[in-house]
Amino acid sequence: MLLNYVVLESNNKKEQELVSKAKQRDKNALSQLVSLYSKRIYHLGLRLTGNEQDAEDILQETFLIMLKKINQFRGKSTFYTWLYRIAVNIGLSKIQSKKMKYHHFSIDDLDIEKIHSEHIHEWPKLDFKNVSTKHFKKKLDDALEELPEIYRTVFILRDLHELSTEETSKILQITSSNTKIRLMRARNFLKEKLENLVKTEGLI
Amino acid sequence: MSGNKELFKKVCDFLGCDLNSPPCQEIKEHLKKCHNCEIFVDKIKKTVEIYKKVDECDSLPENVSKKLYAILNLKNPDESITNTN
Ligand SMILES: [Zn+2]
Repeated sequence: MLLNYVVLESNNKKEQELVSKAKQRDKNALSQLVSLYSKRIYHLGLRLTGNEQDAEDILQETFLIMLKKINQFRGKSTFYTWLYRIAVNIGLSKIQSKKMKYHHFSIDDLDIEKIHSEHIHEWPKLDFKNVSTKHFKKKLDDALEELPEIYRTVFILRDLHELSTEETSKILQITSSNTKIRLMRARNFLKEKLENLVKTEGLI
Repeated sequence: MSGNKELFKKVCDFLGCDLNSPPCQEIKEHLKKCHNCEIFVDKIKKTVEIYKKVDECDSLPENVSKKLYAILNLKNPDESITNTN
């Protein structure tokens, strides 16, 4: 099953109504906002930190802050961008407090000169049955966790949660070109990992 | 050579954007005649595609959901729907 975050866009109007009711402390509207975004925030936390306990903490803290600060939401961005920013900030501070566990190398830009001078082999046709096994998923998760957080966060928001470059930049408070560079490096890093998997496991 | 550098910059930029939207004409032309770049871009696309495919939307575990609503002192609206049925 694919994550489908595109739906969010069309729910914008409904979201605005809910938010204005929630600002009046309408319990029903508040619950509906929680229901609307809890799954996504949990998933985001899980991908950011790689563990369920932290994901649960992020989920609870995010919505506690939402209850407390919803009146400060001015509608300059969409509500979910605002909510994502809260969740990402909590997630990143959690990661930083557990520094040793994570990798802090920087990733080089891709070397296009090198790409042109090498003999590149095509990957055989994809068989999703093979890549959907538990074993393979674990390898993909491990590769994602190896990515330093500044790249991983962008990859999660852009490619897994399908947020736009602009939304991602707003959430992370970086420029669009920075978002693009980080995403390109993250994708290339994961591609390299996958390349190794193709060689060692012959799964694709 | 400097023309190439400009093009490579554009290719890098493209690889950080939406891969499903078509690249600019210049990149398109290059990919048509440059096998290495074509394969490379394809591999990046496949990588993203594989990650999307295997990234199952883990549902919110029931106990996690219960605790969340309890902490927030709210009722789960999805639960009340099933209860009235
Ligand atoms: Zn080329």
